[in-house]
Amino acid sequence: MNQFIQMFKPKTKAQTTTLFAWALIAPAAIYMFLIVVWPLVETFRLSFTNSNIGTLMEGHDYIGWANYEKALGGRKFPAIVNRTFYWMFLSVGLKMILGLIGASLLASNIRARGIIRALVMPPWIIPIAIGCFGWLWLYNGHFGLLSNFAEMIGITDGPFSFLAYKKSAFYSAVVTDVWIGTPMVTLFFLAAMQGVPRDLYEAAYVDGASRWYRFRRITMPQIMPTVITMALLSAIWTFNSFEIIWILTEGGPRGATTTLIIDTYKTAIFSYKFGAGATRAVLVVLLLGVFSIIYLTVLGRVSKKFGYAGVAK
Amino acid sequence: MKHIKKALFLALIGAGFMAPVQAAEVHAIICGGEIRAADQVVFDAFEAKYPGVTVNAEAVPWGTCQDKSMTLAAAGDPVGLAYIGSRTLKQLGRSGLIIPVDISDEMQALYQPGVLATVSDGGQFWGYPHAFSTKALFINCGLVEAAGEACVAPRTWTGLYNMAKAVNDNTSAAGIGLAAKDFDNTMHQFLNYLYSNGGTVSDAATGEVTFNSPETVETLEFIGKLAGVAQEGPSGYERSQLTQLYNDGQIGMYINGPWGGGQHNANIAEIVVPVPAGPSGESGTLLITDSMAVFKGSADEGLAMELAQMMTSGAAQYDLDSSWGLTPILQYEKMMDDVYYSTDYWQTFVDPIGRGGPEPMFEDFKALQMGINSAIQGIILGEGSAADLVAEAAETLAEGL
Amino acid sequence: MMDKYSLPRKIAIYFCIALFLTFMLLPFVEMFIASLRPLTHLFHRPELEVGETMDFMDFISRFWSDKMSFQAYSDMWVTVPQLGRYIFNSVFLATAVTIMSMIFVIPAAYAYARFSFRGKSVSLTLFLAVNMFSGAVLLIPLYKLLRAYGMLNTYWAMIIPGVAFLIPMGIWLLKSFLEKIPYELEEASFVDGASRLYTLRRVILPLAVPGLVVVGVAIFIGAYAQQFLFAITFNQERDYMPLPQGIFEFIGYQRVLWNEMMAASLVGILPVLLIFLFLQKHLIAGLTQGAVKE
Repeated sequence: MNQFIQMFKPKTKAQTTTLFAWALIAPAAIYMFLIVVWPLVETFRLSFTNSNIGTLMEGHDYIGWANYEKALGGRKFPAIVNRTFYWMFLSVGLKMILGLIGASLLASNIRARGIIRALVMPPWIIPIAIGCFGWLWLYNGHFGLLSNFAEMIGITDGPFSFLAYKKSAFYSAVVTDVWIGTPMVTLFFLAAMQGVPRDLYEAAYVDGASRWYRFRRITMPQIMPTVITMALLSAIWTFNSFEIIWILTEGGPRGATTTLIIDTYKTAIFSYKFGAGATRAVLVVLLLGVFSIIYLTVLGRVSKKFGYAGVAK
Repeated sequence: MKHIKKALFLALIGAGFMAPVQAAEVHAIICGGEIRAADQVVFDAFEAKYPGVTVNAEAVPWGTCQDKSMTLAAAGDPVGLAYIGSRTLKQLGRSGLIIPVDISDEMQALYQPGVLATVSDGGQFWGYPHAFSTKALFINCGLVEAAGEACVAPRTWTGLYNMAKAVNDNTSAAGIGLAAKDFDNTMHQFLNYLYSNGGTVSDAATGEVTFNSPETVETLEFIGKLAGVAQEGPSGYERSQLTQLYNDGQIGMYINGPWGGGQHNANIAEIVVPVPAGPSGESGTLLITDSMAVFKGSADEGLAMELAQMMTSGAAQYDLDSSWGLTPILQYEKMMDDVYYSTDYWQTFVDPIGRGGPEPMFEDFKALQMGINSAIQGIILGEGSAADLVAEAAETLAEGL
Repeated sequence: MMDKYSLPRKIAIYFCIALFLTFMLLPFVEMFIASLRPLTHLFHRPELEVGETMDFMDFISRFWSDKMSFQAYSDMWVTVPQLGRYIFNSVFLATAVTIMSMIFVIPAAYAYARFSFRGKSVSLTLFLAVNMFSGAVLLIPLYKLLRAYGMLNTYWAMIIPGVAFLIPMGIWLLKSFLEKIPYELEEASFVDGASRLYTLRRVILPLAVPGLVVVGVAIFIGAYAQQFLFAITFNQERDYMPLPQGIFEFIGYQRVLWNEMMAASLVGILPVLLIFLFLQKHLIAGLTQGAVKE
């Protein structure tokens, strides 16, 4: 018996360390396994069935790749994928730009910095759903602020329902998404900027460098790791952004704001087609995974080329 | 996986333990925030009739009401009976979540014509019709007369269009309120026009989709035409928002149910007229019902069914119809003398019942809604000819039948 | 001298800040104004003649009417009697999620920060990979799972999924902080004969407080902001509903009480906003200290 136990006793320091480390990680790992991994596997399994509301608990049949054929071959599918990526790139791009501008503004030497900083935060802190209700009201055609304002200054000559037309609904949703995501990006960029050693700036100043030069050659490279990480995180979250689009348009006039995640929810929950919905969910995960791999690979090559300070792990 | 099986096992044992207590309770879900006094009377009478049985009536707010019953049923924890839209009955029935109900011959004769069609599938009834509505056209006389037209009922679509155009051109209001948001009442609005043009969605007998017809194309084209004299951005509006516009004098007319009178501002001089007839049909209307469905696998289905019967007949049903401002679901004039719908206002909603068409019974009712709404939005956003859009919608519908 | 701005530059900066703030705060301002107006005024456009468009006075009239009052703020408690409960639920749920997450995150982050061991980068990548899907993707199996454990329609229904999706971010953030704490401190402690756990508790933890605050706040905000989806899918019990779900009760059979809805929203988010105002200095300090470099 003793010999049996001896087999498992760590013999080297490295093994003790490994054991201890895993002991610390185990609770989190087990939790994630139960709550995320198992549902993921189950989703994968469901995607091969015709599960629906009558068969939620049992009784569905396996139908092989039929769901996938239907989803991928559907008329609308390529459009949905394109739209999702367009949505992601546009929204993330805007968030990055606004985040940089905001962070720069907040990092500058002005009075009441703290208060202004605090005032920028609310869109991030509040429940997303509530922010969306606010924007719903703003976008109202006949009675909303934005439409009335546009009328007053003469851009339109009557009410304009932002969410009633395909293009305007899409860009309105982008605006709301950017609104929700910008504060966090701004905050993280601000922290990164404030972490840049001051002597770098002073040296450049003494040498006569302009503000723009200082920004381009000192600030940007220094905060680049943060930008890269934030961009990827934001991309993933934006790709999966569900609540915002759902509350504003539920997929939009004629599918104009239907991204992959909206389509997944509509199929699975709205139409009670769990099998077909699971298929789309798997596709979402796959696409996002491929995107992340491409992103990180490209990034690895780019940073090698330009020597940026380390890529986020 | 072991953990789950174990937990499930324990849960089932636990449920088994609980069973004897549950057999004496009937769980009902009512929509709306509170239980009406008339319903409470029914519950009390029921409990008196069956000593030892309690009625657990739960009032759930409108936003989450239907979801709750469906979720519980799908999860295997069904309630006894619940208030649910009749359009869901076919899917629930086919999925084995609800049981067919018995309606006696005398009761059947009492229902208004067409009502039972909204709860029938495969020769059986799947719910007790509980709330009924028909639609008519509300016209703001103030706006119409300001536009220089006489405030009389337009009998045809041409007349309707001309009146709306007059209001649109000569006043600052829009001619007509048109809903095109992807909501169920957008589909309902369309069906009112369709049924006034001799069109149909599906054939109950053969189970075929008959949506793709010249009458439907005509109707869709008319909707497209109406969009030109309707409020801006119809795709952003559903019917309750049209009521807001109407109350603010922003639209000259729109289609609504009998509760509309109660929702409109007192200072709007209005008339209510039947839906105008299209070139290919007669003035008709849409018959929509909500029902009390009895769920399968609840503690005592027989008791649940009887409770549902009691709630949907006699004085309890009359009270609901009159207090919610609904079209009468039973032919009460056969049962009593003084009915609430004897005024002219009400006759506009009661008359067309015989000429009306039911809300189509589809298994995938979401597909029905999305298909039709997509076509409506398509014609309004100018994305195709009416013929193409109708054909596309018919395909979607065929898959959902 | 570097920090002194010329006047035009100063004006430009303040102007840009004003624009930025307007964008960030516009919905709140409008929500507040909407909550003050009676329902009829909310749904009222200024009277216009044919062919006329709105002018400035008309525009102003939509902000101001003589019937403005705080009436909605008292009516809303009547319309939705459980409103206070919903507000409480939201804060409670976010707090519970934060505490529970921290329990899982702290040991794991410590392990990743300090040790190298077999499977380190693989497992870390796997954790981060979870960030890749949102809860919306996993709703159906999660539903079955929660049902099997009998946790539907309880507080757990919203806490459990919430924690799962915040753990990876928590580990990643805290790990960055812990990596900044010099190892020599621990070594000194070991030399003195202390065990690993003791070291963790007495030496590291106190130093890690700023990092813990940042991670805790980030998790809290994440939990608070994202309750909605799990709440509407896994919970139908009114007693446990968080604020965003409870707000739907303002949507009635035939009409939506927008003014009360806006009032309820503003009041509902006030507690968290206030808490955040107090904590935000620490948040920035902590972030600057270096979580973000990684």
